[in-house]
Amino acid sequence: MSSYLLTVLTKKQEVDTIIRDTIDKVPVLRFGRASDPVCLQLDNVLSKSAREVSKFASVALVDIDSNEIQVYVKYFDITFIPSTVFFFNAHHMKMDFGTADHTKWVGAFHKKQDFVDVVEVYVAPQKLNDFKASALLL
Amino acid sequence: MEEKLKAQKPNPNPNPKTNTAKKKKKKSEYEFCKVCNLNHDQGQRHKYFPSHKSSLSNFLSRFQTKLSDVRFFLKNPSPLRPELASKNRFWCVFCDSDIDEIGSSFACYNAINHLASADHLKNLKHFLWKYGGGMDRVDAFRIWEADVAKWEKKCISLKSDAVSSSQGAIGPEIGPLNDIHNENNYGNIDNFENSSIQSVKSSLSNGVMPLQYYTNEYQVSHSGLYEATNVGMFAHDFGSFLPAETCSDTNLWNLKDIRVNRNSQHSFPYNSYSSADGSFSNGRMFQVHEDEGIVKGESSSHGLQNLARISTLAPEEARGNVHTGAPPPWLEATEASQIDAPLKPAAGSLVPLNKSGKSKKLNPKRVGAAWAEKRKIELEMEKRGEIVKNDCDANWLPNFGRVWQSGSRKESRKEFEMEKQKLLKLGSQSEIPIEIQPYVSKRMRTEAGE
Repeated sequence: MSSYLLTVLTKKQEVDTIIRDTIDKVPVLRFGRASDPVCLQLDNVLSKSAREVSKFASVALVDIDSNEIQVYVKYFDITFIPSTVFFFNAHHMKMDFGTADHTKWVGAFHKKQDFVDVVEVYVAPQKLNDFKASALLL
Repeated sequence: MEEKLKAQKPNPNPNPKTNTAKKKKKKSEYEFCKVCNLNHDQGQRHKYFPSHKSSLSNFLSRFQTKLSDVRFFLKNPSPLRPELASKNRFWCVFCDSDIDEIGSSFACYNAINHLASADHLKNLKHFLWKYGGGMDRVDAFRIWEADVAKWEKKCISLKSDAVSSSQGAIGPEIGPLNDIHNENNYGNIDNFENSSIQSVKSSLSNGVMPLQYYTNEYQVSHSGLYEATNVGMFAHDFGSFLPAETCSDTNLWNLKDIRVNRNSQHSFPYNSYSSADGSFSNGRMFQVHEDEGIVKGESSSHGLQNLARISTLAPEEARGNVHTGAPPPWLEATEASQIDAPLKPAAGSLVPLNKSGKSKKLNPKRVGAAWAEKRKIELEMEKRGEIVKNDCDANWLPNFGRVWQSGSRKESRKEFEMEKQKLLKLGSQSEIPIEIQPYVSKRMRTEAGE
């Protein structure tokens, strides 16, 4: 639905590229499928906020139905969709969202601002020289 | 000099020795060490012994875990049902007293008040002095009064909200304790919280294993975020989960019709599953927009949101995943040029760091800084059409080992290099490769020889 704004990745190589080549920005990868309602909701929020965070984040959608992507599904232990995974400089960034799974965010966001807040947590400590904001980061 | 067992304050001045001529050992009276759970006559020295120190750290960390539960409720006040109150006992090791919650309206009410009290602080300091815990750890075992004040405010606002919002049909339990809609929830909530890991494990129908550790924030946090594994539990096993059924009808999440005002100041990320955890929530409400296309639950949910579940195609393989610490797929040697693990800062040493184009704003200590620099250079080179230099060839690991007790490593390396040169000159057949043969025992050999 909103995929004309966000790139959809179906190949492992594409995912690799976006993780490795996004330098000093947070690649946000949403693992899900476009037909799922909750994914749609999340995609909606993501596409609306993609422009706002474009200075420090790049958002992409990863289609979990693709064969090549199953490596990532297994690696990140993705069992529910949508799952959103964050990276920074080719490091997988974990964060304590308040749930038990720190490696990814499961579900949709309620508002744009919520998503932006989450991304800022990843980015803020990297930009600044103090790491207090990274207290949530693991 | 008689030695009596004492369970009280130690005698700060141990009795002077009488008939023993040992100068170093002062015989003091026996005291009981609460931490090591033994009687000793070492007096003031006991707290410095390593055995005591290790028991102390165990002791304190055990208490800390219990405290962290209390702290959770300090941050997220939740009403306490009277019938559950008897289960919520709290033993304060510093004050040697049991703190129960009978008659308290909020979870850990008495415990929080106790931990903030002056008496407790006094006992705490005395304990640390006596058992040598380190006086700087006082704050870890108490609660500041400011926090208590904040918590009380939250409680009061919770109460008032509970009274004001008459619709108990909202997912998050904000109702007062006599709210019949939510009545059944509490009984199971506590049980669930107490035996959450076991129940989750038993109720998961699929092969997905919940995470082995358990964040202290339970499955409810004030933001309504929800643990993924519990989602599965809701979705697939309603039978074992009474609250979901009993309250599902009443807590129907018909979001278009109901608007709930949020208590808190922040807008938290909303997890579409939060209605399910609403029955666990500690009273924070979720702002619901009418214009959001909230999706109603599918399949077996009784009005609860449902996240689509990915079935694991193959059984758990040995490849490992992010939880087990396997190497990430994007760094795997597709190009056979990158070897480093993500967390290897040594890679930075291969990259010239004095780039003129380096941004002044970038934090040099940011995550993956070394990788970023390296990758930037590579990308630029690729853009220019140069071949990316693969600076990790087979010889990057020292692959020679010598006896190096004599001479320096350089010498052994020189030897190795020379030998390598010779090998290259003479070709690969310079040495007859040693054939590895299976071991033949002497008996076999002799038998064969006969």
